Amino acid sequence: MPATTKTNFQLVINGILKENPIFRLALSMCPAVGISTTMMNGLMLGIAVLFVQVFSSCTISLVKDYIHPRIRIPTYTLVIATWVTVIDLTLAALAPVAYKQMGIFIKLIVAFAIITMRLEVFACKNTLWPSFWDGVGMGGGFLFGMLTLGFVRELLGAGQLFGYDVLGFRPLLFFALPVAGFFCVGFLMAAFNYIEIVYNKRKKAVNR
Amino acid sequence: MKFIKCYKLMAVAVVISLVLISGCKNKHSYVSKAKFKGDHNIIITFAGEVDTAWAKDVKNYGIYAKPDPDIQLTISKIIPGSDKKTVDLYFSDAIDQNQPHILTIKNIMADGKNLGSTVVEVKKLYFGFLFSILIGAFLIHNFVFTKYLGLCVFFGTSQKQSTAVGMGITFMIVMVASAMMSWAFYQFILKPFHLNFLQIVVFIGLVSLSVQAVDTVLRKINPALFKAFGVYLVLVIANCVILAVPLIIANNEYNAAESFMLSLGAGAGFLLALFLMSSVREKLELANVPVTYRGLPIAFVVAGLFALAFMGFSGMVIF
Amino acid sequence: MKEIIRITLGLTISCLIAGIIMGGVFTATEKAKEHNEYLNVRGTMTSMLGFNATHPVPADLRLYSLYRYILDKNGTKSIGYVLPVKKDKKISYALVTVGLDGKFKGLSYLNISEEKVSKIEARKTALDAVVKPPETFTYADSTIIAKKGPKLLAYLLPGEFNGFKSVIKVMLALNSKFTITALEIMEDDEDPGLGAEISEEYFKNQFDDKSLQTMKKIKVIKQPLPNDYRRYLEKSKWKKGEFTKAKIDKIRKKYKDHDICALTGATITSRAMTRGIKGMVKKFAYRIRILDNALKQNKVPVAF
Repeated sequence: MPATTKTNFQLVINGILKENPIFRLALSMCPAVGISTTMMNGLMLGIAVLFVQVFSSCTISLVKDYIHPRIRIPTYTLVIATWVTVIDLTLAALAPVAYKQMGIFIKLIVAFAIITMRLEVFACKNTLWPSFWDGVGMGGGFLFGMLTLGFVRELLGAGQLFGYDVLGFRPLLFFALPVAGFFCVGFLMAAFNYIEIVYNKRKKAVNR
Repeated sequence: MKFIKCYKLMAVAVVISLVLISGCKNKHSYVSKAKFKGDHNIIITFAGEVDTAWAKDVKNYGIYAKPDPDIQLTISKIIPGSDKKTVDLYFSDAIDQNQPHILTIKNIMADGKNLGSTVVEVKKLYFGFLFSILIGAFLIHNFVFTKYLGLCVFFGTSQKQSTAVGMGITFMIVMVASAMMSWAFYQFILKPFHLNFLQIVVFIGLVSLSVQAVDTVLRKINPALFKAFGVYLVLVIANCVILAVPLIIANNEYNAAESFMLSLGAGAGFLLALFLMSSVREKLELANVPVTYRGLPIAFVVAGLFALAFMGFSGMVIF
Repeated sequence: MKEIIRITLGLTISCLIAGIIMGGVFTATEKAKEHNEYLNVRGTMTSMLGFNATHPVPADLRLYSLYRYILDKNGTKSIGYVLPVKKDKKISYALVTVGLDGKFKGLSYLNISEEKVSKIEARKTALDAVVKPPETFTYADSTIIAKKGPKLLAYLLPGEFNGFKSVIKVMLALNSKFTITALEIMEDDEDPGLGAEISEEYFKNQFDDKSLQTMKKIKVIKQPLPNDYRRYLEKSKWKKGEFTKAKIDKIRKKYKDHDICALTGATITSRAMTRGIKGMVKKFAYRIRILDNALKQNKVPVAF
């Protein structure tokens, strides 16, 4: 793939909607199912992923000319692991309560396929700024996905948003249960598919 | 032929370890066994018959949990066995079986003779603990269905049964190899030198290394096998489970045997999950699924149903 | 060959750079982490003592820490307490040894400052100088004694026990008669919506006002919480003027000896919680009486 021709805005929107890491690419599903029980969790992990994605993309796009092609993947892993350690230590120091809630998942960002994939597909072929915006888009897409899931699950499961009581009762406790993550992701994916199908039909109708 | 030899070796190893584990206990010659029975009872088995009058006296026993030597537990009832060889101590307050208990038996009387006092440690079998780690990682805390890890690879490779089994076996081998290496690195390098903040880098590095090693070894030794399983090797790195297990081992300070059991259980659990899922998804291919649900969405719903079923295992206690 | 050298060199350099970045962040955040953890724990403690925005923490509130150790000398065990004592009008720390039978065994001063005593490594080096082999020591637990001036406010007990999925860490506040005044869940790994409900007010506040006698025979019952009790327990949802003092007293009296109502779908967690807290209260009440006696009889100049 040659250097991208998209504008910065298109790159961000692409990450959030068209290639949304959770609902469209179906990568990095573990946290989407595991800890999307509240919006706060989603926000924190989303920010952590955004940080790692942006910084790794920038780092790789800066040093891409010096990376030996044979050790490309190990280098990516090293870069990601470094930034994950940085955010892990920082969060442990600054937000200990939220950090404890997310447990092992912050450390597991290392193994998220989405970050490695973006480095391989995009950052190693583009200059600093497009890589930065692509990182923002992808990280933002992940954040958006996590927030959507958190919104649905927290509202339906606990009747709360960000820990504040909104409804005053609990509509469906089922959604607060850990297993509901699978169902929630499945339903939302189907919803995304439905929107796409309807959108395509309309477009065809207009073109005709 | 090779396989048979392998089994023989393994059997010998198991026997030796069993002897080692069970043989390292020093006990009074007259007390042959003392073990928990349920939450309220401790059963003492003597080598011969003991005097019932002696056995019934609460004063002859003293017991405390190992971390609380200053607090003696009160025995509320003593039921001597009909064969005079066993004594059942009943506690009205539940005893914590996870703690070893120190039992002092004073002046054991048998045939009117005083055989002296003894101190016995009552605890769960270590072998049982190891086994419970294995089953725990395999079923009760299955990494895919109850911890929600390794989902990308799980959904990616569970379309066909053959793929699923291949991936599962490859994963299991790499899992055990990398977890054992990580354990050694953590215990002998990271912990003594206070380099805990390097955990993530070191563990992911070791995973890549073991993937590379398995790749090279397989390519040289068994090219046919490599052809079948080689493609999955790269995917292993992108699996959260492979990183989560070393982190859990480091967190809980497991020793070598416990780490081995955990990693084996995690690998086998992943294989089980993949196998179950692929069986269903092969059938789903033929089913009439609504257009919007085709592909991944329905797979997620099925996985959710599996996870619900696995919730039934939770809270199960073996040993 | 040249290729290999280049690759190794490149990898080594990048590893070094990565190591330096991580080490730098680690050293930069280490202090802040400790400080935040301290603030977090202290904030929980003061809120459990009933201080909040409207009741600010008084200036004469003092928190004294006791650390319990188990000493073992060739199989003979005794209990050692590291506690603050007054020496030359200053607070220093000493090791008080009490035998299993409750007899005072000895007192030895430790060379450790007040700031460092909360660190387990610092205590270990200080104890190493006092406890001579073959006697060994192992850390057991700690207690915080909160005093306001000369008045004892509460004993704060951090503790942990096995829950349903893994360890639950709690903090318990007891008054001088060993009646529970507050319970806080510090850490748990239970399922959200099921076991994790233990940190909801309607469950954890059930333990409030339970005396030692009640705790000794408390049970977990599978019955729904009575409605008025539930409204009372959910203190953060109180409407203004809904609970007058007389009404509160009436409800407290009515449910003083009520058993713990299990959480729906999390009976095992509820049982584990009740059992764990019961054990903590019972053991603590037993130990502090023995320690108090031993300290009084030997006129140890304790700071609290």
